[in-house]
Amino acid sequence: MTKRIPLIARDLKQLYTGFLIAAVALFIVCSFLTEFNVMTLIANGDAFWEFITQDFLPPALPKASRIPGVLDSVVVTLALAMSSTTIAAILAFFVSLFGSEKVSPFPRFAKVVRGFATFLRNIPALVWAFILFSSLGIGTGVGFVALCITSFAFMVRAFVETMEDVSQDCVESLQAVGATFPQRVSQAILPSCLSGFLSWYLYCLEVNIRASTIVGMVGGGVGLTLFSYIKSFRYDIALSIILLIAAMVIVVDQITGKLRKELLK
Amino acid sequence: MKPILKFDNVSKHYPNGVHALKDVSFEVREGEFVSVIGPSGSGKSTLLRAINRLIPISGGTVWLDGQAVSALRGRSLRQLRRRVGMIFQNYNLVYSLSVLQNVLHGRLGYMGGVKGIFGLYSEEDKQGGLDLLEELGLADFAYNRASDLSGGQKQRVGIARAIMQGPKLLLCDEPIASLDPSSAKTIMDLLRYMTRRRNIACIVNLHQLDVALKYSTRIIGLSKGEIVFDGPPEQLDDATIERIYGTSRENLMMGGNRDDQTDTADCA
Repeated sequence: MTKRIPLIARDLKQLYTGFLIAAVALFIVCSFLTEFNVMTLIANGDAFWEFITQDFLPPALPKASRIPGVLDSVVVTLALAMSSTTIAAILAFFVSLFGSEKVSPFPRFAKVVRGFATFLRNIPALVWAFILFSSLGIGTGVGFVALCITSFAFMVRAFVETMEDVSQDCVESLQAVGATFPQRVSQAILPSCLSGFLSWYLYCLEVNIRASTIVGMVGGGVGLTLFSYIKSFRYDIALSIILLIAAMVIVVDQITGKLRKELLK
Repeated sequence: MKPILKFDNVSKHYPNGVHALKDVSFEVREGEFVSVIGPSGSGKSTLLRAINRLIPISGGTVWLDGQAVSALRGRSLRQLRRRVGMIFQNYNLVYSLSVLQNVLHGRLGYMGGVKGIFGLYSEEDKQGGLDLLEELGLADFAYNRASDLSGGQKQRVGIARAIMQGPKLLLCDEPIASLDPSSAKTIMDLLRYMTRRRNIACIVNLHQLDVALKYSTRIIGLSKGEIVFDGPPEQLDDATIERIYGTSRENLMMGGNRDDQTDTADCA
């Protein structure tokens, strides 16, 4: 038998094989640890399928008298996402100025600002909602604050990156003419980063509309409506609300996607 | 003619251990057109930025108009900077703003905080900006976005912004390094014309030896952070050039040897 000619370097092939073995081993260990096996899904397939076909399908409309209320809650969700993202964006803009070594008048604290933002961001909005709901009670207030915190933290990071990506040359030239820090911000950083900022704002809006349905479970809006149908075992109505949410998210995605493309031209 | 700028044993160490300037001393008088030449990393940019304190120096004193630059902070530093125009290799414009807005940035150092933030320039300044654009042949571009201009036009906007400051000294950091030969000539001609007309002293960092020889009234040669030559272009001989660049003149000139010989004859 002639020796087959390898297509990739031998050590690379060994590396791939190693990764494959490691992935399989990890899967076995994890299945053992979580005591959950994909096989049980297949074994209990009947119950699962029954749930899908009996409870979930076909989607049912809520009572006609409830429909305006449901649509109302969709509007509340959209408004919640928009207002919280906007407030967060304005705050994030001012804070992000101090989060970049190249821009901040106190470059030593830039790391602290970024670290703080990262810390806030790593706590999901739903966790914030649960933390806050003990002090603010159920309602849109909780959703608003929770979304504000996470999108603020996200946008601080995104705005800092935008500012660092955009060339700092024009900031240097304004420094050379003797402009003050606020003048440099408004005359150089803001105009050259505005389209980038807006693009991140729209992205964040998109994320927040999705998140606001989840956060809404304690914070009002369509999430609360969805949750109340799930709790009362009306899975078929819940499904039509899920479809409604999906439609809403897709529409918003399309709009913001188009706008972002235009902005970044 | 009194000196506008004086370097007194100026040195600069960067935190990474680079010793960019070593005991540099020289003076610049009104109306001089000084070219600073030297290989990359010889400290040309550091030298220029030490003047308006975009880079703080580590030792010695830079005197500008009788004031020690390194002692200044905040407001007084900004008041000093507004009297020194600066032109950059990459033009350093705000490309999303109009040409006129970019030119008027030269006035920011003279304006109160809030007026400057919102760009509320006086009618006088705006007229001054338009006149300057006319003088530089950019009258038709005043309301174009700065990003729409060609390289040479962008650099002309850079010149307009610097002249708007009403400076006593103009610093040019590789002003023609990113330009094609014909735009480069336009820019150098404009720099000489504008500074002569307004009696502004000019310091230009250059890579192009032939340009330095043609335009300057004086050449400073830097090598490894030290001044190895300071004098009129006529005195810059081949041996000095070799000391500045660490290589012979023939290796610096692209193109044929014929040009080279006439050049040598010119400065001999």
